Amino acid sequence: MGLLRYESQTRNPLVTGHKTYHQVTEDIVRPIEAKPSKLWKIGFTISLFLLSFGAYSVYRDVVYGIGQWNLNKTVGWGWDITNFVWWVGIGHAGTLISAILLLFRQGWRTGVNRAAEAMTIFAVMCAGQFPIFHMGRVWNAFFVLPYPNTRGPLWVNFNSPLLWDVFAISTYFTVSLLFWYCGLLPDLATVRDRAKEKWRKRMYGVLSFGWTGSTKHWQRHESLSLVLAGLSTPLVLSVHTIVSFDFATSVIPGWHTTIFPPYFVAGAIFSGFAMVQTLLLIVRKVLSLEDYITLEHIEVMNKVIVLTGSIVGIAYITELFISWYGQNPYEAAAFRNRWDITTPLAWSYYLMMSCNVLSPQIFWFRKMRRNITVTFFMSIIVNVGMWFERFVIIVTSIYRDYLPSSWSTYYRPTIWEVGFYMGTFGLFFTCFFLFSKFFPVIAIAEIKHILKKSGESYKEGVGGIETQAPEEFAHEQAHAH
Amino acid sequence: MSSFKEQFEIPGRFRNISFALMAVGIVSVIVGFFMYGSHEPARFWATMLHNSVFFLLITNASMFFICATTLAMGSWQLAFRRVPEAISKCVIPLGIIALIVLLCIVLGDQHHIYHWLDKEHVQHDTILKGKAGFLNPTFFIVWTLLSIGLWIALGHKMRQLSRYLDENPLASVAEGKKYVFKSTIWSALFIVWFALTVASVTPWLWLMSIDAHWYSTMYSWYTFASSFVSGMSLIALFVIFLKNRGYLEVVTEEHLHDLGKFMFAFSIFWCYLWFSQYMLIWYANIPEETIYFKPRVQGAYRAIFFLNLIVNFFTPLLLLMRRSAKRNYTSVAILAVIIIFGHWVDFYQMVFVGPFKEHVDLNLFDFGVAAGFVGLIMFSTGRALAQAPLLAKNDPFFKESVIHHT
Amino acid sequence: MSVKKFVVGCFDDEAVLFPAVKKVRKAGYKLHDIYTPFPMHGLDHAMGLRDTSLHTAGFIYAITGTTTALGGISWVFTKDWPLNIGGKPHFALPAWIPITFELTVLFSAVGMVLTFCYLCQLAPFLKKHHFHPRATDDQFVMVIECNEKTNEDEVKSFLAQAGAKEINVQNAETGWWLGRYDKDTMPFQVRKEKTAFE
Repeated sequence: MGLLRYESQTRNPLVTGHKTYHQVTEDIVRPIEAKPSKLWKIGFTISLFLLSFGAYSVYRDVVYGIGQWNLNKTVGWGWDITNFVWWVGIGHAGTLISAILLLFRQGWRTGVNRAAEAMTIFAVMCAGQFPIFHMGRVWNAFFVLPYPNTRGPLWVNFNSPLLWDVFAISTYFTVSLLFWYCGLLPDLATVRDRAKEKWRKRMYGVLSFGWTGSTKHWQRHESLSLVLAGLSTPLVLSVHTIVSFDFATSVIPGWHTTIFPPYFVAGAIFSGFAMVQTLLLIVRKVLSLEDYITLEHIEVMNKVIVLTGSIVGIAYITELFISWYGQNPYEAAAFRNRWDITTPLAWSYYLMMSCNVLSPQIFWFRKMRRNITVTFFMSIIVNVGMWFERFVIIVTSIYRDYLPSSWSTYYRPTIWEVGFYMGTFGLFFTCFFLFSKFFPVIAIAEIKHILKKSGESYKEGVGGIETQAPEEFAHEQAHAH
Repeated sequence: MSSFKEQFEIPGRFRNISFALMAVGIVSVIVGFFMYGSHEPARFWATMLHNSVFFLLITNASMFFICATTLAMGSWQLAFRRVPEAISKCVIPLGIIALIVLLCIVLGDQHHIYHWLDKEHVQHDTILKGKAGFLNPTFFIVWTLLSIGLWIALGHKMRQLSRYLDENPLASVAEGKKYVFKSTIWSALFIVWFALTVASVTPWLWLMSIDAHWYSTMYSWYTFASSFVSGMSLIALFVIFLKNRGYLEVVTEEHLHDLGKFMFAFSIFWCYLWFSQYMLIWYANIPEETIYFKPRVQGAYRAIFFLNLIVNFFTPLLLLMRRSAKRNYTSVAILAVIIIFGHWVDFYQMVFVGPFKEHVDLNLFDFGVAAGFVGLIMFSTGRALAQAPLLAKNDPFFKESVIHHT
Repeated sequence: MSVKKFVVGCFDDEAVLFPAVKKVRKAGYKLHDIYTPFPMHGLDHAMGLRDTSLHTAGFIYAITGTTTALGGISWVFTKDWPLNIGGKPHFALPAWIPITFELTVLFSAVGMVLTFCYLCQLAPFLKKHHFHPRATDDQFVMVIECNEKTNEDEVKSFLAQAGAKEINVQNAETGWWLGRYDKDTMPFQVRKEKTAFE
């Protein structure tokens, strides 16, 4: 194996400024060691407020039952399951970035993976709330677990996609957490070894598990990360696939379609990347990490957004086309409830189409991809669109039942349904604020790993290689070891 | 300073084998035409359709691979980039053959293959009548022409961009960036067209409409996965062949490892799509949909159905899992052959169950025609390889590929 | 474990470190370990460490998960309490694939992480000797183990020649102990104090 660490100058650097290894540590650990800024405090307070509003809404759900939601006789799944799918979808980008992009060796992921993984974990935590409280008698929630019991023993229904969800979401949460924490260990050790205050030394001492940086440990760590990435890749696909099975295994027109699994996955990646953009644009500004989360990173993520947005677009059109091609009157009716502008919920379909398919197309232009304001705006638009995608799939497929007599009800949420949703925002941002205060938001060790290859000042040094004849270069490398 | 062995000379044996295989193919087509042409034309045309579409799609997958890696700013593939380029050139002869076959079927009114061609039948069939806006000869022909024509044209443009650098090396980094930007745009155009054809409309027309009443939104993505994994295997086979002949000096086990990973990962991806489509239809159990799987799982094609799964999923999963297997030229070559064969069988059951529900009649005729196509791919790729330098050495990322390691 | 004597040399450039490793091994010194702030590809081979077989363990855990899921579900649905669910056969294999897959991944991931922590002896509240506080920042810390025959000064000058910047000799416990990072308790010191007390 040659020792040369070289990357073409044709690529823009991933770490700008003239960084040394020590400088990288300084830059990333500084926000942890400094006092929280005013912005941080304001944001944290707002999150706590939202969280308590959510907690109160949930408290009411438990006390009065979900009758206080506006779910009705045909719309049995409304905002709750929409929010569930939405949050799970957002929870896909983190593991995707760290796992799939690790396998694809995309160097830029090092700048964003840590924050994205944290986001994944918090989003999955938020997602899990909805089905649990939707159960109504939440104190019986443990019935979903298969354990020998005194009820027969009556087992859970392993054939039900809802139970698959239990396994999928909990596995995903566990594996993401392990993956994230294993990556954090060395960085926590870095924070520990720099700490001045007693409590900090002690806390990070416990958190870092006594990591030393031994070569043998690094070797196992690398192997572990690689296999966990290999496992997480199909896992990411499986989770949203299984969420899509909740709908697609049924015989309900608009839900039962075979393209759902891959198309849900594409949509999840789409919304996940949008959320990563939203968070990282704020983080890089507030923690002044512009040297590590560069315009290059933002541009690449915008490319992923336009790609996945278009995949989702193809899937929408495929579905719409097949609803006609299949010549199945029920399927056609379900889709008529979406595209026909005279139907009550058609607006949500067109909102979804314009947010998810049309508007991301502006990222075909390089100027737009590198424009921070546009990116931030788009990242929010995309997530609005993705929320409406789930709303369209769930509500417009069921609000007009087979009996026209049940058609009259127009589903709109109560304040407590909205409150629950707001509450999960509170939970998400509370966790994220705490994370950005106490943990390194960028993977320090991984940045150091690519520094001498993709760092700006180091790339300037490879000009000689750029002009070398390819034959000569290959010859030298072949005999370098 | 040593120089690369850039000029590929087609070995005599390679040429002879390709000619022999093509001869076998031509003889098979002629014999098949006389055997089935008059009394069972569907049998003849189904074989032609199966083989021409399968081999066209797996060679076209090479161009998809080039464009996808270009868009991802990948560099590892540059060490052997001329190989998928050469394979993608087969799209020209194979596209013409597929076009002729499809035109013969549609214009020759082969309604045993495409039911929707039978005008009288369509009049009495409300479902097919409703589909007539899509399933009609005019649209079929126009779309087929557009599909194949633009694959060839855009593929040609991509190859041209790469060849241009051979004579005109990049003078500066700025010029390199411009070049990367330009190839990104053309790749994006190819990918968009690929998405509109292979990932959506074209398989509906060519393959799904064989089972004219049936539909599945997954179908085209499934077809894509099947053809892409075999396309990657085809690339791996040619890379290994050239390496064995002493060409492609800069290709190492590291590059092979990545090709192996693609074969491994996309075999799993194929199975994922296969499972999603099958399980959802099995689970919902709606007769209009299960009718597709009925003859496949419970009828005459049962053996092929399970063979498909074993060959295309379990074999690569178990045999390519180990790192050492992906880094071994022999094991990757064997697996590549198995995967291509497996997906050929997959396409066989996609095409044949529609017109021939009762019995499986896979015989020498099918293998003979397939051999002809294999010979044609060998011949055409060999020629294309000999026409251009074997290494895209002036590409701005080429040096990254030289030192690539996993 | 036990307390040993080590010569510690810090490098600040990996380009110097790699040749130094080669020299140290050639000279026959016993390389205890090298502590680095980030994974150095190829350093394990340069040090002569064998490859880890952690992934093999992962594979075994994965098969365990697969078997547990398939075995468990098929026992429940065909033997323990067969139910007719939607007219599906009792042995409804396609419907079991999702859970089987999830458990495969879960077993493999959890098993591997636990194995990793066990092999590397990592856990909360554990403490180990750190040869240099900046080994997790920007220093590559090479540690050479001494025995009674080793001439420390010779090793020190050897390391200096190889390019090490900061060189010193340390007595250190090789294993872990339960301890806190805000206090400098060393197990051997504790033991000494105890003996003094007795």
